[in-house]
Amino acid sequence: MKLYSLSVLYKGSTKANLLKAAYDLSSFSFFQRSSVQEFMTFTSALIVERSALGSRASIKEQEYLCHVYVRNDNLGGVVIADSEYPSRVCFTLLDKVLDEFSRQVNSIDWPSGSPATIQYTALDSHLARYQNPREADAMTKVQAELDETKIILHNTMESLLERGEKLDDLVQKSEHLGNQSKAFYKTARKQNSCCEIM
Amino acid sequence: MAESEEEVDVLVQRVVKDINNAFKRNPNIDEIGLIPCPEVRYNRSPIVLVENKLGVESWCVKFLLPYVHNKLLLYKQRKQWLDREALVDITCTLLLLNPDFTTAWNVRKELLQCGVLNPEKDLYLVKLALSKHPKSPETWIHRRWVLQWLQKECSPSEQELKDHAEPREDAARRQCERLQRALQEEMRVCADAAGRYPSNYNAWSHRIWVLQNMAKGNLKVLHDELSSTRLWVSMHVSDHSGFHYRQHLLKALARELSQVGETELHPTKQPNGESTAGASDDNHHNDVIPQLFHEEMELCTDLIESYPGHETLWCHRRHVFYLWHQWRREHLQGAGSQSPPLTHTDVLLSEEPCDDSSTSQTMDVDCVLDGSKHGSYTQDTKRLKRGPLLPHPALPSEHTFVSKILTGCRSTEQNRFAIAYRKWLDSVIGQ
Repeated sequence: MKLYSLSVLYKGSTKANLLKAAYDLSSFSFFQRSSVQEFMTFTSALIVERSALGSRASIKEQEYLCHVYVRNDNLGGVVIADSEYPSRVCFTLLDKVLDEFSRQVNSIDWPSGSPATIQYTALDSHLARYQNPREADAMTKVQAELDETKIILHNTMESLLERGEKLDDLVQKSEHLGNQSKAFYKTARKQNSCCEIM
Repeated sequence: MAESEEEVDVLVQRVVKDINNAFKRNPNIDEIGLIPCPEVRYNRSPIVLVENKLGVESWCVKFLLPYVHNKLLLYKQRKQWLDREALVDITCTLLLLNPDFTTAWNVRKELLQCGVLNPEKDLYLVKLALSKHPKSPETWIHRRWVLQWLQKECSPSEQELKDHAEPREDAARRQCERLQRALQEEMRVCADAAGRYPSNYNAWSHRIWVLQNMAKGNLKVLHDELSSTRLWVSMHVSDHSGFHYRQHLLKALARELSQVGETELHPTKQPNGESTAGASDDNHHNDVIPQLFHEEMELCTDLIESYPGHETLWCHRRHVFYLWHQWRREHLQGAGSQSPPLTHTDVLLSEEPCDDSSTSQTMDVDCVLDGSKHGSYTQDTKRLKRGPLLPHPALPSEHTFVSKILTGCRSTEQNRFAIAYRKWLDSVIGQ
């Protein structure tokens, strides 16, 4: 039951802008971590770009679940978790984080902000605390608050894309991904990761 | 890009040496991994050492692996000689890249047997290989072989942790401490591997093997394992293998404690290593087992309610309830005075605390119970006076549980699992 990343982004007119992110990659093998982190950034930005204002969604991709909330004021948050982590708690976390962020960081700074310029430091501690969903939040309270029928469910990342758009192309063009990550993506796609030697 | 054979040879020699040097430079390497790096770079070493992590750049693998593999095969076929040091280095390199290569592990077994290789080194190599391939069956098999070999070599007589009948020499105590450390290490290796891959059957099977062959049914170890895995399974609610391990622990504990009970009935030799069993109360072991099952069912309930829609938890519930059901059946048919008054306690469902006035009602809610009414009155009152009775899992309480889940349920999977569980209760338990 793990949370891997927690990101705050600004949904611009054409693309999403990463404002701040926290990652817990301890469960990945050491040499994969930088690539994994880049992919999580890439994924989070793509999800926010393709999500409507005022929407919540959960997107399943392989063994990960990405939960997104994009507010009407263009502020968005993405949590990338595993499939065991209860999604309700993720949405509580997103509500909380975006609320806090919007109070601490002036909205003027959102459209052009970046992790280097944005003054918001609570993300790492939120991510750490929420690793144990029960310690972080009273589950019963959560269950009462959220209306699950309004959360859109996607079975793959592909369903977020436009007709004819391919994920492979987006990966190749992405500025979030370094060459090593792009190469990694290519080989990973070809293999069954269960029997991985290369 | 055509590589000449000499170029490949030079590259391979260099890589094998670099890996060897890395271990010499840093004896604390705790993880190996492949670095995705598609560009071939002959001039630079593909071996990277960062903190305690050893990385191999992926471009060299396609040269390295077939070459080293081939070399070892030629040696085994007696077509090419390799000296011992070369064998150690080559097998190490091979196994870090592809640990499912049985021949390489077997070469190391031979080296171990003729004293060239230190068994601790192999345990370390296994641990490293598992950091990259946490499921690899050949790796786990080799680890067990080494552990067994160590057991044979290091203990002249059979070491029974239970058997503390009279004070032993320091040597025996040191033996015991070493075993304790070995046990802890094995549990750590298993836990690490279990964390790296979901439902890691091989890791958990190894853990069971350790219980059976190294701990040999020691009650304290079983209890400790039950408590130490509790948090783990709570954070891995769809890990079937983790829950299966707990089922195994319960079964083993029930079996061991029942045997202790029988020894107390027919005392031949007092086993006094069993601090958990407590010899004072003749019914005590009969309390411990129900309590264990009760706690496990409680844990299961808690997780099912907190994390709806995980089939593993429902499967676990079935297993635990079934084990409980079996145990209760066996112990009812045993000597009358020893059997707990189950009809009575079954009536006391989780909602109601123990109540003196209900002793007269012996509702046969469970069809399987028959002879429990005999002589159970005195036992009942004795039990009531001792303190609050634990509500034991029973068919009615299980049905109540299912109903409760179904009424509050908002998850379709949870709904489905609850209904399936009820069906199972009726068809398997209720008969």
